[in-house]
Amino acid sequence: MLSKIRNFSIIAHIDHGKSTLADRLLEYTHTISKRDMREQVLDTMDLERERGITIKAQAIRMLYKDYILNLIDTPGHVDFSYEVSRSLAACEGALLLVDATQGVEAQTLANANLARQNNLVIIPIINKVDLPAAEPERIKEELKNIFGIDPEDVILASAKEGIGVPEILEAIIKRIPSPIGEVEKPLQALIFDSHYDAFRGVIAYLRVVNGKIKAGMQIKMMGAGGEFEVQEVGTLKLGLIPKDELLPGEVGYLVAGVREVKECRVGDTVTDAKQPAHHALPGYKPIKPMVFCGFYPLAGEDFENLKDAVSKLQLNDASLFYEPETSAALGFGLRCGFLGLLHLEIVQERLEREFNLSIIATAPNVIYKVNLRDKTHRLVDNPSRMPPLAEIESIEEPFLKLTVFTPAENVGAVIDLATERRGQFVNLEYLDPKRVMLTFEIPLSEIISEFHDLLKSVTRGYASMDYELIGYRVSDLVKMEILLNQEPVDALSIIVHRDQAFYRGKKLVEKLKEAIPRHQFQIPVQASIGSKVIARENIAALRKNVLQKCYGGDITRKRKLLEKQKAGKKRMKRIGNVDVPQEAFLAVLRLGK
Amino acid sequence: MEPANELRGSIKSRNRDVQSSVPSLYIHIPFCKKKCNYCDFVSCAGKEELIDEYVYALIREFELLFSTLDFQLSTIYFGGGTPTLLEPKHFEKILKALGNRTLNVERRTQEVTVESNPGTADKEKLKALRKLGINRISIGAQTFNDRHLKTLGRIHNSKDISRFYDDARSAGFENINLDLIFALPNQTLAEWKVDLQTAIGLEPNHLSTYNLQIEENTPLYLRQTANSLQLPGEEEELKMYEYAIETLTSAGFNHYEISNFAKPGFQCLHNINYWKNGNYIGIGAGAHSHVNGKRWSNPNSIEEYIANHERRFTINDSPDSIDQHETLFLGLRLLEGLSIDKFSGFEQEVAELINDGLLERDGDRYKLSKKGLYLGNLVFEKFV
Repeated sequence: MLSKIRNFSIIAHIDHGKSTLADRLLEYTHTISKRDMREQVLDTMDLERERGITIKAQAIRMLYKDYILNLIDTPGHVDFSYEVSRSLAACEGALLLVDATQGVEAQTLANANLARQNNLVIIPIINKVDLPAAEPERIKEELKNIFGIDPEDVILASAKEGIGVPEILEAIIKRIPSPIGEVEKPLQALIFDSHYDAFRGVIAYLRVVNGKIKAGMQIKMMGAGGEFEVQEVGTLKLGLIPKDELLPGEVGYLVAGVREVKECRVGDTVTDAKQPAHHALPGYKPIKPMVFCGFYPLAGEDFENLKDAVSKLQLNDASLFYEPETSAALGFGLRCGFLGLLHLEIVQERLEREFNLSIIATAPNVIYKVNLRDKTHRLVDNPSRMPPLAEIESIEEPFLKLTVFTPAENVGAVIDLATERRGQFVNLEYLDPKRVMLTFEIPLSEIISEFHDLLKSVTRGYASMDYELIGYRVSDLVKMEILLNQEPVDALSIIVHRDQAFYRGKKLVEKLKEAIPRHQFQIPVQASIGSKVIARENIAALRKNVLQKCYGGDITRKRKLLEKQKAGKKRMKRIGNVDVPQEAFLAVLRLGK
Repeated sequence: MEPANELRGSIKSRNRDVQSSVPSLYIHIPFCKKKCNYCDFVSCAGKEELIDEYVYALIREFELLFSTLDFQLSTIYFGGGTPTLLEPKHFEKILKALGNRTLNVERRTQEVTVESNPGTADKEKLKALRKLGINRISIGAQTFNDRHLKTLGRIHNSKDISRFYDDARSAGFENINLDLIFALPNQTLAEWKVDLQTAIGLEPNHLSTYNLQIEENTPLYLRQTANSLQLPGEEEELKMYEYAIETLTSAGFNHYEISNFAKPGFQCLHNINYWKNGNYIGIGAGAHSHVNGKRWSNPNSIEEYIANHERRFTINDSPDSIDQHETLFLGLRLLEGLSIDKFSGFEQEVAELINDGLLERDGDRYKLSKKGLYLGNLVFEKFV
């Protein structure tokens, strides 16, 4: 049986055609009838379709000849690299999909490296060969230089046109090895995804490595520790297909009355509670949020609703962290932790869209390790909680290894951009005569603002980037406070490098001046470090604002104008006696160098 | 259902107890010799050949409404457009159709206003209008500065204004209003002072002063979006407004509405009815009506209005609360303010506004403070 199973995933950069190829494979194997086919079947969330990325992993089982092919889809963003590594760990092979007009991108490299670490067989595919701008020979050269791939092994394809699809299916059954596993051994199954279902509890997606799993069994999560009784197992088509049992090498799902996804986290090993395996499968990591921000309801009375909403999202998102916090300026809110900026944006958007909440999100920050003079240290995930200057010995911040793939002509601009943001140049490597791979070491805090947008803009959209955490390092950091109308606003404080403090303070007060509407009084906006004011702007008082003309024919229109003006103010948070819009909190993100 | 019955049913169903008499009638005359550069009203140049048919349609509309509503008219207002483009025979037809039946005989003051532009009527025509019972004339002067008149796209110069004013006086008009606009492109405070002094020199009974509003889809709007318009800044605009209030008040005018000034006994009754959120009927293209909390309006197109004999009303079905909101933000435009009991449900807003110095109490009324006058929108928005 094992010899007829192939488990694989697709590694590709955003827009290189992963979802389209998946659609074609499903079509070709008659897994989905033409009638049910809609574009990008696997991206189920609306957000995924809009953003063109896969947030949650998915899996689907196809039948080809007498083989069972399990396609395990992977998230396509650097924020979710841990999830990618677990999806890959559930496979024996990977399709490496590269756009014939673009070439290998930073994330493709990162994910291909992950695949190699997991000993996956890689099937290289050059996609979009039908396009006039396709350069398959150049890409073959790149694949050879970067991965040592034999050009003979490369399949030329166009997922859109269906070119190369039969060859890809043949390669999957011929080149990818069948899984190895023994049904007699104690159960070991790898969870590579899970999601919360309001009716059935958590549905875990897993790959059985050894042993078997079936309804009625008592199971144990080796990482999280919980024990559950299996209610149902099965395989995955577009929906769930119940089955008596799952055997080694099989990919499927598990329902066991688990209430929250954090009780069965991605990467955890499921085993038989009565006859547990000696050790868990390798690679399980506890959650470590990297980026934090505060969420505050615009209307104070919405706090409970916000908490409810975030806890509902958490049922389905084990990497979302939250705890209540209080801000002097914004009142009751939640400090939330995320894998990265995209993760943050998705959560924020879902709160507004799916739960209809109006919230203020403070500027995101990283988590700092503060070494105190009394030789203890403290982790600080909120700039306003930074201990007083006098108590601090040093502050450490997370650093990354940043990899950028860029056209050779933009190398100068990319190096400038990274060094302006405190990046240390490490290495430059030519991928081919036209494209270069640059490596930097750079603080995470410099990446979570507008870095990616700026990188795209200095390279006309051609660069791609990827990063991994390399540890904490001491930096000369200070806390900058913002005062609105002489009152410090804790939610606007930021941590900056001392050398950048003056420039960023000046830029920040300018941006705040633009973002905050005029009031009946003049509002000074100041940036200060300790008690020293380093920048100041004044928002002039509003002097005249009155509908001068209003007669019988104008009334409905004038009322609507007033309603609109009022609605605009409702979208703001009152701090002291100043109405502050969401944009003010984001101003911190757009400060340039 | 027949439109008239539909209207009657709809108005009565909401406010059975309220007497639905209508004290004010607005008649829209959408014809102009030339459209001004700032104007976004319902008006058209070069369609004078439609005037006869239009007047006929006005009368038909009124007759339809007359059978439905209880008219007790105290005021009639011919607005435009340029009503004085019509011939006396047109006014005669309309006024005759309205008939004495509709006029409120118990109220001594009756106000019949016609809006006019300098140069659109000679002394003879003005005399004829006066003789028909029109007793108030509103003159669109806008400014006495010829350069600014040109920018606005007006068809007259400053001399035409004075001449027209004198003609109106000698034709027997004892109640004359002048409209002035300030904060014009490139206008200085000194120029505005001259405008006001010139206007005061003519000794009108009433003055309306507005700052220029750049409305979408007007030539000035296009110039503004092309950045070729130098408008006075907010501070300058405020000074102009302050100066108008001081100067007109000391010249014996009573500042009774945000933009309106009158000699004692000459406040515009027709407009006061709007600000008190009273009932009124508007007839003609684009005209709006308000009866017992219901608002509706006619099609903007002249041709459509003329053709549409079977008139259908789209009456907005807004909740009663909207009518209270409108009562408040309209009523606060009057400097005397509104009686306190009208503000029920808005106690917190009132307290905040008083605290901010935008609203003040005057006996049993709340009214705009001086600061509130300049920042009226911050007050009004609290009541919508």
